[in-house]
Amino acid sequence: MTATTTATTTGATTTGALGGRAAIAGIGATEFSKESGRSELRLAVEACHGAIRDAGLRPAEVDGLVTFTQDANSEIAVARELGIEDLSFFSRVDYGGGAACGTVAHAAMAVATGQARAVVCYRAFNERSGHRFGQATGGQRGATSTGLEFSWHVPFGFATPAAWVAMHAQRYLHAYGATSEDFGRVTVAMRRHAATNPRAWFHGRPITLEEHQASRWIVDPLRLLDCCQESDGGVAVLVTSTERARDLAHPPAVISAAAQGTGPGQMMMFNYYSGDLTTLPAMGRVGDRLWRASGLTPKDVQTAILYDHFTPFVLIQLEELGFCARGEAKEFIRDGGIELGARLPVNPHGGQLGEAYIHGMNGIAEGARQIRRTAVNQVADVENVLVTAGTGVPTSGLVLTRG
Amino acid sequence: MHDRLPALAEALAAEGEVAAPPCPDPVDPAMIRNWTQAIGDGNPLYAGVAPPAMIQVWSMQGLGARKAGSVVDGLLGLLDEAGCTGVVATNCEQTYDRYLRHGEHLRSTLRFGSITGPKRTALGEGYFVTWHQTWYDERDERVAGMLFRVLKFRPPERAAAPNPAAEVGPPAPMIGPDTRFFWDGVREGELRVQKCGACGRLRHPPGPMCPHCHALDRDHVVASGRGELHSYVVHHHPPVPGRTGPYVVGLVELEEGVRMVGNVIGCPPGDVRIGMPVRLVFERLDDGLTLPQWIPADREPPDEDDEVEGAAPDASDEHGGAGPDDLPSIEIPLTPTFVIATALATRDFTPVHHDVALARAQGAKDIFLNILTTMGLVQRFVSEALPDAEPAGIAVRLGVPAYAGDTLTLTGRLTDDGAVEVRGAVARGEHVVATVRLRDR
Repeated sequence: MTATTTATTTGATTTGALGGRAAIAGIGATEFSKESGRSELRLAVEACHGAIRDAGLRPAEVDGLVTFTQDANSEIAVARELGIEDLSFFSRVDYGGGAACGTVAHAAMAVATGQARAVVCYRAFNERSGHRFGQATGGQRGATSTGLEFSWHVPFGFATPAAWVAMHAQRYLHAYGATSEDFGRVTVAMRRHAATNPRAWFHGRPITLEEHQASRWIVDPLRLLDCCQESDGGVAVLVTSTERARDLAHPPAVISAAAQGTGPGQMMMFNYYSGDLTTLPAMGRVGDRLWRASGLTPKDVQTAILYDHFTPFVLIQLEELGFCARGEAKEFIRDGGIELGARLPVNPHGGQLGEAYIHGMNGIAEGARQIRRTAVNQVADVENVLVTAGTGVPTSGLVLTRG
Repeated sequence: MHDRLPALAEALAAEGEVAAPPCPDPVDPAMIRNWTQAIGDGNPLYAGVAPPAMIQVWSMQGLGARKAGSVVDGLLGLLDEAGCTGVVATNCEQTYDRYLRHGEHLRSTLRFGSITGPKRTALGEGYFVTWHQTWYDERDERVAGMLFRVLKFRPPERAAAPNPAAEVGPPAPMIGPDTRFFWDGVREGELRVQKCGACGRLRHPPGPMCPHCHALDRDHVVASGRGELHSYVVHHHPPVPGRTGPYVVGLVELEEGVRMVGNVIGCPPGDVRIGMPVRLVFERLDDGLTLPQWIPADREPPDEDDEVEGAAPDASDEHGGAGPDDLPSIEIPLTPTFVIATALATRDFTPVHHDVALARAQGAKDIFLNILTTMGLVQRFVSEALPDAEPAGIAVRLGVPAYAGDTLTLTGRLTDDGAVEVRGAVARGEHVVATVRLRDR
């Protein structure tokens, strides 16, 4: 126990230096679409402004901004539009969707250490109508360290995120006797949740396992319905001190723990060169840190927001985070095990497979809503929510707690 | 341009029959054997005489020969200038007067036939240009004739947003000071794995510092090229520059203990399995890019007999609707080896039949069968179905290209007037419809 420990949360015994000092006090988002019809900067400022107003603050009270390295909207551009004249903290987090919870971790650290009082984390893009991540990359990134990583892969026509994930998925099927249907059950669950979420792109459009099995190959063993959708939109969350958050508009989603992590020999999405392809070591480490820092165990969360850009990594995350043993995720998800009303409802909003692909930021917003108990598919008696970020890349995670 | 065509056509017609460039070689058993092996035609008759469908081979000029002027060159050039830059062969009709024996030295002539158009076609508006070639023996007696027709068409305007995958070849790797030794090795036909100069540990992909002992001193070993497939994917979608799907990307565990990504080639994607032994080959993708790739370790060098196999079961089996006149069908896997070997055996060195990068650069999906081969395959079909029949003529109408990686299925039937109708289908549709006239006996 350190002197910084606070006992602000319900159920969580926060032992990390960060523990419980900061909270998500505001959430904002644009609509999710396939063609927003406006600039990415406009999406970003709409989402940020929404989060600030949701918290009951004014833009001038914001003194920190954090986003993804990949975001096209600089912190100063967002600050200009919002009329923020002085940023005392600005930061970016790298590695694609792995950055999502990392932005909140940076914001929480800034708040906990007094670098800033109110930090907005944002992500906004026209990922469907503009630059689509699912298209083949040309790999022309210059002879940077990342460019060189891509050069061991892209010249072989190994050029899409689906393909990079499929390499793990094939080995997972081989090692544990799982099947394409096991991957499909993830999508069936996400689409079931999205079907009752009016904000979801797939609102009112659940699918069956047969429809998953009939969908075409993208990169065998991944079918079209193993891949999340592509979306235009923006999401932002406002982080401030837990103490201040208690005086604001909504019940705070206290950040009991926030962690980032990498694995041995970590590459951007090519962790093939040592170790076991059926694992996600970076996520395992993030999970360990989150449980240790929050004093919680997998049994203590009532719902989990697991990053679902591709179905196989949802199974591996359940194993890495301790919800089930290695190779047993297929049993865990059978019979609707991750659906609403089951032992662990995953992504009640429908996730990126069902709601929208906003690089994981929409999952953080859902986590905060579940804590507020205002979600459209509200899980009963939520006290703690686990949220993860992009997998296969250096990643991050959060434990949010009612407080 | 259209106004000038009648006059030009008239002038060409007035030239009449003109000498074609000399046939380079006499009818020759070695060339016949190359051809029958490539086509997969096992007819024993061809130990003594030339296959009739080989006729055009005898006047092909070969690799590096200066392109001799043809009677239609001026006309085709005019059509090019007028924007009809596309060309596709539509008909080839050969007539054979007799079998050719070893040692006969032929000559041939060319004669302009006709130009018709403009006509609207599926490919675009264009003109059909027809010419004739005739072959004579040393006594100036005609031994064979051919009608050849091409469509010169105006390619449709490109869409506003062209598919980038069709525009460029495969991306080349970025190369830096820490990785140059690897790509230098690939160029020299070696697969190099970085070895720490201090502790001796191997490592791939390479980097400037040994993660174990932190030495900056680097060396490399040359890998044996043997390994085992640790995992793999089959890429179907989206399109990838320079690639034709589906194709396999594998993660190979080398016997040296490091892993490496490469394509698994030389076998259908459906045959690929985790744990299969693979061995290294170097694949040249285009002039600037060679990649270390992997093939099944147990794969023998292709056997010439491979191409002869695959004769389908009797037409009398459960094939629905097989009539009494239906002939046994043949399925021919169009491996790159088959496409290239037949092109070269017919002395056709046009790059679209052997250079995949160049074929793609010209808008094709892959390398594809040449017409001389299609003629030969039609003849082979008849020869296998009716071993005693002698073809008197083969007339073909050409459809979609037969690309490498596809399978050509030849079916046929006897017609009421004693000819054979042959159809050749590939995945994209009908490649050829042919009528083979048989000599009365």
